[in-house]
Amino acid sequence: MLLQQLINGLTVGCVYAVIALGYTMVYGILEFINFAHGEIYMLGAYFGIVFLSLFTASGFAASNFPLAFALTVLFTILFCSAYGFAIEKTAYKPLRNAPRLSPLISAIGISIFLQNYVMITQGATDKVFPQRFGDASFHFMGASVTGLQLIIILASGLMMLGLHLFIKKTRTGKAMRATAQDMTMASLVGINVDRIISTTFVIGAGLAAAAGVMVAAYYGLVNYSIGYVAGIKAFTAAVLGGIGNIPGAMLGGIVLGLMESLGSAYISAEYKDVYAFIILIVILLIKPAGLLGANVEEKV
Amino acid sequence: MLRLSGLHTSYGPVKALKGIDIEVREGEIVCLIGSNGAGKSTALMTISGVLKPDRGEIEFEGQRIEGAAPDKIVGLGISQVPEGRRIFPRLSVLENLELGAFTNNAGYGKKLDHIFSLFPVLKERSKQPGGTLSGGEQQMLAIGRALMAAPKMLLLDEPSLGLAPIMVSKIFKTIKEINNEGGTVLLVEQNARAALRLANRAYVLESGTVKLHGTGEDLLHNEEVRKAYLGE
Ligand SMILES: Nc1ncnc2c1ncn2[C@@H]1O[C@H](COP(=O)(O)OP(=O)(O)OP(=O)(O)O)[C@@H](O)[C@H]1O
Ligand SMILES: [Mg+2]
Repeated sequence: MLLQQLINGLTVGCVYAVIALGYTMVYGILEFINFAHGEIYMLGAYFGIVFLSLFTASGFAASNFPLAFALTVLFTILFCSAYGFAIEKTAYKPLRNAPRLSPLISAIGISIFLQNYVMITQGATDKVFPQRFGDASFHFMGASVTGLQLIIILASGLMMLGLHLFIKKTRTGKAMRATAQDMTMASLVGINVDRIISTTFVIGAGLAAAAGVMVAAYYGLVNYSIGYVAGIKAFTAAVLGGIGNIPGAMLGGIVLGLMESLGSAYISAEYKDVYAFIILIVILLIKPAGLLGANVEEKV
Repeated sequence: MLRLSGLHTSYGPVKALKGIDIEVREGEIVCLIGSNGAGKSTALMTISGVLKPDRGEIEFEGQRIEGAAPDKIVGLGISQVPEGRRIFPRLSVLENLELGAFTNNAGYGKKLDHIFSLFPVLKERSKQPGGTLSGGEQQMLAIGRALMAAPKMLLLDEPSLGLAPIMVSKIFKTIKEINNEGGTVLLVEQNARAALRLANRAYVLESGTVKLHGTGEDLLHNEEVRKAYLGE
């Protein structure tokens, strides 16, 4: 029972973590909460349905489902990254030097726009993910893991590891960290800061998109409003881990997923959405900067 | 090599530069002195493209560069060590140096060896976060980081600020060395006496205008300069 709850919690937690990375990376560089980020996840869920439906209609999904699903994820990531790129260029970049509230309001505007855009083009009712994954699952020690849960956990783990290595080791990753620490100085060593910001939005959107497809497959149903709750939860995860801190977002997401799952199982499932915020309040009371957040910025 | 003509820069309503003309020739050390708020840092930030001038021209090697993006200007060969050092605090010393070479990775290993020979302490500390270095070590790192771009021209903003006398003379010696190796330097300093001794030519800036200019030697013996900046 406990093990089962841990597995379920880890699955959801991985999804929160992957979405939370988008919030935390953008915050790390721009000190701005991208409230439209949850909608990218929602778009990802819809693009997933659209592409997989195309593959299903053409018969391709029936002949090779794993490949069709992989391509669906890939196309979804590409399309959503393009959205992330375009949103930053049109809605945030022109406001870079405006008062802090302006880009926030712009983000809320984008969020409302995207929800309505999807509602009008895709309908207000729930959409069904075209093909449910089989129920094949692995049993051990009284718990079971479905194939899809395994895919979600493994894929999320790989994405997080990939991002971690990218940020630690690559030239662009180092430039991203430098930009987050001192944007003016980054430009003085010759980093094209605009390009780094675009890259950040593209990566964040790609991750949210992947999370969107996986969740659509997991729950089987999507709706134009799913970005809201997922966005709030992932944002909570980011704050929980220490906003702006990348390992923090990963940890925050997983802690949140586990707590939700355990709370639902052992206390009451009715309050599922409340646990997230209780944990957030408790952690912030004890550690105001979040689990892994730095308490004071050492600006020299 | 670098020529500023009629350069005006402002921060909103605050006019920080009110039409300055400055020239730096290849191979020179040119020094910029002036009291607090005179506009020295503003001048360097305008050259580096962080600030956009309202009016006036900046010409570098015959090319107009005013208003160009900072990363383009670094690419052309002008690197700045800004006021306050601005080390990336949570990047390691080595990563700070690596980013210095962001636009110019050619000869990376050689440049790194050169900087480690100038400042051996940086080699010892290469794995440590930049923010944990002492003030003087951070200054060495800031200079090293700028040198990693192998710039044609180095802009230095108060490199001696907050350093012990022995470190100050070490930094000045390094500037001389960089210059002997062919580097052109535009140096902003409060430490006017040492700077004027080092400089081929110097400009005195006062509330956004060039008040005086001449050779370092001339200014060292100038009555006004002695009173206002050398504390005599
Ligand atoms: N970000 C800013 N916003 C508004 N005014 C500014 C800003 N930065 C500088 N100034 C003003 O511009 C003028 C020139 O400043 P600058 O930093 O160039 O002086 P400085 O010569 O470098 O002085 P110091 O020796 O103290 O470093 C000052 O009057 C300063 O108050
Ligand atoms: Mg200054």
